Amino acid sequence: MATLLAITVLLPLLGSLVLILAPRLDRSAARNIALGCTLATMAFSLILLASFRTGVLTPQFAFEPQAGTYGLRWLARPDIRFAFGLDGLSLWLFLLTALLMITAVMSSWEAISERAPLYYAFLLALETGLLGLFASLDVVLFYIFFEFTLIPLFFLIGLWGGPERQRASIMFFLYTLAGSLLTLLGVIALVVVHYRYSPANVLTFSIPELTRGLATLPWPRWHEVGSWSSPQVLIFLLLLAGFAIKVPMFPFHTWLPLAHVEAPTAGSIILAGVLLKVGSYGLLRFNMGMTPLGAVSLFPLLATLAVIGIIYGALVALAQTDMKRLVAYSSVSHMGFVVLGMFALNSTGLDGSVIQMVNHGLTTGALFACVGVLYERYHTREMSEVGGIWNRLPILAFFFILSALGSAALPGLNGFVGEFPILVGMFSESRRAAVLGGTGMILGACYLLWMILKVVFGPLREPAADHEHAGDGNDHAAVRPVGWHEIAGLAPLMALIVLIGVVPGPFLDRIRPSSGEIDKNLQSQRGSSTVAVATTTIPLPNITAAPRNALKAPQGKRR
Amino acid sequence: MNPQIAYESVQQTLRILIPELIVLAAGVAMMTASPFFRWPRRTWCAIGAGALTAALLALLAVSGLQTDMYAAVALNDSLGFYGRLVVLLSGLILLALAHDEPADDTAGEFFGAFLMINAGAMLVMTANELVFLFVGLELVSMPTYMLLYLSRRTSTTQETATKYFYLSIFSSGLLLYGLAFLYGVAGVSNLKALATLSWHLPSIPHPQLGLVAVVFVLAGLCFRVAAVPFHFYAPDVYQGSPTVLAALLSWVPKGVGFVAMVRALTAVISVKGPDDPLVQKAVMISWVVAAATMILGNTLALLQNNLKRLLAYSAIAHAGYLMIGVTVAFANGPKSGYVYYGCESIFFYLVAYALMTLGAFGVIIGLRTAGRDVETVEDLAGLGFTQPLPALALAICLLSLSGIPPLAGFWGKFEIFASAFAASLGDNSGPFILLAVIGVLNAAVGAYYYLRIVVTMYLRPARQTVVPRGGWPVALAVGACASLSLILGLFPGPIVRASRAAALAAVDHSPPSRPQVIVRSGPSPSHSTKIPWVQN
Repeated sequence: MATLLAITVLLPLLGSLVLILAPRLDRSAARNIALGCTLATMAFSLILLASFRTGVLTPQFAFEPQAGTYGLRWLARPDIRFAFGLDGLSLWLFLLTALLMITAVMSSWEAISERAPLYYAFLLALETGLLGLFASLDVVLFYIFFEFTLIPLFFLIGLWGGPERQRASIMFFLYTLAGSLLTLLGVIALVVVHYRYSPANVLTFSIPELTRGLATLPWPRWHEVGSWSSPQVLIFLLLLAGFAIKVPMFPFHTWLPLAHVEAPTAGSIILAGVLLKVGSYGLLRFNMGMTPLGAVSLFPLLATLAVIGIIYGALVALAQTDMKRLVAYSSVSHMGFVVLGMFALNSTGLDGSVIQMVNHGLTTGALFACVGVLYERYHTREMSEVGGIWNRLPILAFFFILSALGSAALPGLNGFVGEFPILVGMFSESRRAAVLGGTGMILGACYLLWMILKVVFGPLREPAADHEHAGDGNDHAAVRPVGWHEIAGLAPLMALIVLIGVVPGPFLDRIRPSSGEIDKNLQSQRGSSTVAVATTTIPLPNITAAPRNALKAPQGKRR
Repeated sequence: MNPQIAYESVQQTLRILIPELIVLAAGVAMMTASPFFRWPRRTWCAIGAGALTAALLALLAVSGLQTDMYAAVALNDSLGFYGRLVVLLSGLILLALAHDEPADDTAGEFFGAFLMINAGAMLVMTANELVFLFVGLELVSMPTYMLLYLSRRTSTTQETATKYFYLSIFSSGLLLYGLAFLYGVAGVSNLKALATLSWHLPSIPHPQLGLVAVVFVLAGLCFRVAAVPFHFYAPDVYQGSPTVLAALLSWVPKGVGFVAMVRALTAVISVKGPDDPLVQKAVMISWVVAAATMILGNTLALLQNNLKRLLAYSAIAHAGYLMIGVTVAFANGPKSGYVYYGCESIFFYLVAYALMTLGAFGVIIGLRTAGRDVETVEDLAGLGFTQPLPALALAICLLSLSGIPPLAGFWGKFEIFASAFAASLGDNSGPFILLAVIGVLNAAVGAYYYLRIVVTMYLRPARQTVVPRGGWPVALAVGACASLSLILGLFPGPIVRASRAAALAAVDHSPPSRPQVIVRSGPSPSHSTKIPWVQN
């Protein structure tokens, strides 16, 4: 199975090489190869899902798990290993990537005509980057994939994007690179601290070993809480730099609207659907998993930023007239929930946070795909110019409504399953943050339903055909109906939006061992932590932490 | 030392120096023969390539030979061996880039001087003696003046050559002054002996005299590696001289200068351990140099539009990253069982840097537009679709320079930052971590100007036709640089092991037959056992 996982990760890269090296592929051949690759990857991922054992904490499908250390000696040093494996945190994100890639290929089916082989090659390279990132069990391997994703996405935005594509791609690249370099320092710091203070001076780059080793590090300063200069806080901040930009958390979100709007539809789907999860996945895996006391110390600040992100994103989304821009800002808001759930610092919030990552990927991916379908037909994304598509494109309208409702967290659909536990979890830690975050749900319903109202319902409004496209779109009776590939790309997402909403159990069951472990680690370190200076609970005005002993309540409530 | 041992030592030394002697002899022969034979430049170039290849074979043949480290002026340890290997291979690449450069009538002198530079660089890699080190460094410098004068006789080249000449002479003076002090502190000129003495005797080197030595040697070498405050010649000289010479100047003096720093300074000073005041001062000085070099190089590179000037500032910036390694190397004392060594990261970075910077210069050499050389960033517009392969090679080299995985430059930065994080002065690791943070912020700034070129190549429409030139040797050299940047990014293992071995060799100063009692808290042999992958 370990080999199957490695094959699954590397298969798209192979497809990408074929697309680059094969001479003179035409568009349909290129997209067929790309589709074949993504479908095969999805099939392999499903096999992995089927053989994933529920209730197991250790990473599965890993190389050499019995020998103590995961992975093959393949990279630079014996310590940096080629180590893949999936656990509860990464499993669903891995599958989400495989699934959204199919949607991305489908949504590019007609839209991309220029240099199609190159386009699909970058798309597939991006898939390998993302799959590898989620599957990595080695910090350096993780980082390599993390950075590698920048290159294909840079070209996808820069070559096939909208009018401002150059600025968008440069900004996206540099912004994320700057942050992730600091994250690299944080990762190195973790390894060095573990090497220097672990009892046997073990040099390891393995994520599971580091997580275990750092939790029980015999170094008193490591377990300090509440001081800005304690090592966990400093490393937490270094790690946070890259992930906060990727998520993006509130003051670091400025690259996102530009990149989303300028990217081609497939780029937006992957960017919002998967790439933002890279940030929150990193936060969970590294910040929460390895420096939990940093999270405890900085909790008021981070929860504040998350709440500001939720409300600010929602308010800005309300003011948008461009659909793509609206969905982009809604991402800022919804990712705020994901972060808020993490910093609830209890298992309810963590579970919600992990499942919300998947939910957001599904709904936002679907929304971007729907907007893309509309844009392909009308060449506009202005809500004032398009309306009443229920009469013209009923299938699309149905998809649009369903994904918007899922995104707005209607009970019975997937968004609710994520956002509700997040708020419940947060409530036990800080009531004010939970209540303020809750307003984000209301505002979310407002802007999404507003968009649906304008675009889907009402009398049919279509833009006057511009002269550029006079040949194919002059007569609106000839608006192309929704094609098979668009349905095929969106239908699985719709099914999952409903499925997760109705039966979240199977999904949560696979997440829980891992999120529970993070929670256990968090609570045990919190219990044994030494408070550096007795009075320094960081004096931030907005949120007062609820009494810490209220922690037991949500755990009882959880199941 | 009795005559018998002295004779043996000289014999051994000459034997391990065979590769240098071959290259030097060929260089001298070419210079002498040049006035009498009117051969085309291709012939001279072929002779040069033949000499380098012969030296390569000779180097492989002498790879096992060792000399007594306290007697010999040259060492064939791992640093000497791998260093010379890198010099020879990069020499071949440079030769391929230069094959079309000189006019037929000066080709003999040109390639002769080129071979001498290589011989000098190889001498520095092996040097174990202050005077020998200086000779090696001068053997790099002097033919460089000649090369600068030999190329096109325009007023800018003359100005460039003069500028470089005077500054280089000045820096050699500084260096020599510092080396004299380094000799003065213990009265020995053998570097390994100096290291051992300063390890055993607390009064050596004398703190004040030692500091003078450190400052002046560092200053003299900073000129060669183009580190602040001795960097200012670089942009003018690079811009004014032919691109091939800019490529040569951006790599050879830099590689040589850093190896000389390791051989003469860090390996000698660092044995005092991190608590020594001299070590602390040395760390402080190189800390400031590193930070200033990185910041200045990257900031000014942002403003450049001329490709050669841009690469010159980028070369300065990379000298700054490498100075982080030097800073760390000063602090890597004998008792520090560190996971990453400063010199190890320097060596790895140098290899990666050689590939990526020579590749980048190579692409510029290999392109021509509208009857002139490619000069500005705008000249490259649309290159990604008019000349896909050169553009791809340049893109790989530039992304590698900016440290994007999975390319060789990423591992270089990784090693540098990892060594900085692993270092500490006593319990204080704050300065190193701060330096690493400054380093990554600079890397992020640096990514911008590299990315600008990539953007111009791929995202802008072509303005003018750009045609390749230089034939297969340039193409081969550029292809080798680009593909090795990628391959070493995916499989950095061999270079990591080699630089590890070279780093251990550089700090090793204990004779093999040393009695066990003296090895108290032993330097390299005992702490190398703590390093996990050495046994693996």
